Amino acid sequence: MQEAAAIAWANPSSTHAAGRASRRLLEEARESVAKVLRASPADLVLTGGGTEACNLGIRAVSAGRRRIVSTAVEHPAVAKSVERIERQGAEAVILAVPRGRPPSAEALAAHLDSDTAVAVQWVNHETGTIFPVAAYARACRAHGARLFIDGTQALGKLPIDVETLGADALAVAAQKVGGPAGAGACWVRRGLDVEPVFDGGSQERGRRPGTPDSASMVGFGAACLLVARRVEAQPAIAALRDRLESSLSELGAVTNAAEAPRVGTASNLSLDGWEGALLVAALDLEGVCVSTGAACSSGLHEPSAVIRAMYPDEQWRARSAVRISLGFETSPSDIETALHAFQRVLARKES
Amino acid sequence: MTEMKRVLVAMSGGVDSSVAAALLHETGHELVGVTLHLWDADGAQQVGRCCAPEDRDDARRTCEHLGIPHYVLDEREAFRKHVVDPFVADYQAGRTPIPCVSCNRTVKLTYLADVARRFDATHIATGHYARLARAGDGHLRLLRGIDDEKDQSYFLFGLPQSTLERLVFPLGELRKSEVREAGRRLGVPNASKPESQELCFVPDGRIGDFIERQGTPTTPGNMVDSRGEVLAVHEGVANFTRGQRRGLGLGGGGARYVLRILPDRAEVVVGEESELYDAQLRATDAHWIAGRPAEPFEAEVRIRYRHRGARADITPNGTGFDVRFEEPQRAITPGQAAVVYRGDEVVGGGFIA
Repeated sequence: MQEAAAIAWANPSSTHAAGRASRRLLEEARESVAKVLRASPADLVLTGGGTEACNLGIRAVSAGRRRIVSTAVEHPAVAKSVERIERQGAEAVILAVPRGRPPSAEALAAHLDSDTAVAVQWVNHETGTIFPVAAYARACRAHGARLFIDGTQALGKLPIDVETLGADALAVAAQKVGGPAGAGACWVRRGLDVEPVFDGGSQERGRRPGTPDSASMVGFGAACLLVARRVEAQPAIAALRDRLESSLSELGAVTNAAEAPRVGTASNLSLDGWEGALLVAALDLEGVCVSTGAACSSGLHEPSAVIRAMYPDEQWRARSAVRISLGFETSPSDIETALHAFQRVLARKES
Repeated sequence: MTEMKRVLVAMSGGVDSSVAAALLHETGHELVGVTLHLWDADGAQQVGRCCAPEDRDDARRTCEHLGIPHYVLDEREAFRKHVVDPFVADYQAGRTPIPCVSCNRTVKLTYLADVARRFDATHIATGHYARLARAGDGHLRLLRGIDDEKDQSYFLFGLPQSTLERLVFPLGELRKSEVREAGRRLGVPNASKPESQELCFVPDGRIGDFIERQGTPTTPGNMVDSRGEVLAVHEGVANFTRGQRRGLGLGGGGARYVLRILPDRAEVVVGEESELYDAQLRATDAHWIAGRPAEPFEAEVRIRYRHRGARADITPNGTGFDVRFEEPQRAITPGQAAVVYRGDEVVGGGFIA
């Protein structure tokens, strides 16, 4: 990215040599991102991150539709976007995800017709829950509904092939695969109109105004070169995760959303008698970084909205939930270090 | 006192707690900054001081400056339940509450003691102007801060020995001017920030408006004199406190003062200043720093934060105490704290009935 920054300062839309060099880097990055989605580069809209990509994709599938169907555990990038569409007059149907069990394709199908758009995540951002999006796509096709998939948490964890998936739009973000925070992409099925999220020039074929950030996109493209390796590492990561969860359960931790398939990189635990924010801080003081899953800009941690939605009758779960993230950089000795920190901290619960 | 290892510093975002942290940091202690999120400022109040996001930002900036960790913890639920709701109820019952006492005792320091344990911190430091000293009987004594103008011992009479054992007051031996100077010397980012005088959750000081915003209905009523003659109408008893002169809406004539508030009849009784003086009071819900005195004794009693204190005989009774002053005191106000001092030492206190 540093090398790219020396070239990519130029406006990739400019005709001069510097602009053309920047354009070449941008297009190489686009190809790299397209490759991991098995998409055609021309069908990608490069964005300033995952949130923008989600907004763009949801607007594309829902334009002119009377109803939008989503779930109760979406990332705010999707949930708030759905709320906006509801405010603009559409009927919103929000499906429950009790105990982390995603709605079946049959349950989804009950709400579908040719005047419906669906916006769902592929992988939950706090629990790692995998939603059966291929089955959702078949149901949508059968009923003439359009489907947007928030794939930000799926990239690097599950193989993605937009051609066989059958969705209408899919959003991804560089940040989730080791790339920079300010880069994302939305794949949109060819032929589906995309209205830009904001007003401006005709960059990205009129779908995303503003000068593209070539340097960040180069970072995204480079990060995508490692995506296949990340996906292959999943079983090993899941094994570490299982080891961590079984040890922590002996210390009183309860795993959330363990009843349905999850990706290996996420573990969401509740520890009765702790507030999540307090546990996160206590572990941080021991050198272990975990999160409650939801943070606002003030640094204040609210109880997890995802866990609250999954366990509406067990408030202690949301209040005490912490999310542990693992990656292909995580080693068995990291797990031991984390376990020892948990042991020290959890011993302080009672005076 | 146990050996001081890791110290949790309660940081409001104000100058005092920031300097308290900087001074402890200078002496080489391992610190953890904690800011309690107690209340969401609403509307225009957000640009005020306490409880505004910018205060949390100031606390964070100070911690970043010192290179210590900083966490914001949510205590809004407890603050509403134990401080704001009783505050509103007190005003509606014609009293003038002193929420900082219950906040220190029931919310802030109790919660921070729990946080300290979970953070493996041996002590809690705050920016209060007060001092602690170990007496011959092994108990800690709570003493006034050196700076008479800033002394905050009045607000701390409710703290049990178990909490005092963990507390550290780095500013107790300093004057405010020295605190500001230390702030500048140590590069504390908010060293010249103006001081807040109002309640943290009512930064504009308009308590009547605040109570109305809490959705509690206010009942208009009459303002009467001692003989029951109606002089004016008012918008609700929560707008008044005993001894108040301004804002009565009585127009011309001599100065008149609020003598009594009768919430059941929504009446505010006004009269001459000379009628405001009483020589005794009864305090309830008492707390004694080093145990309840067995016998009546003589000491000084402060009946509000800015009261200098007056000689009195104190007789403990059940869960409270009776006070008989040598000289009658002006505007002894129900809901305020009566805090008993022997010289610099806080013996205990209670709430004026």
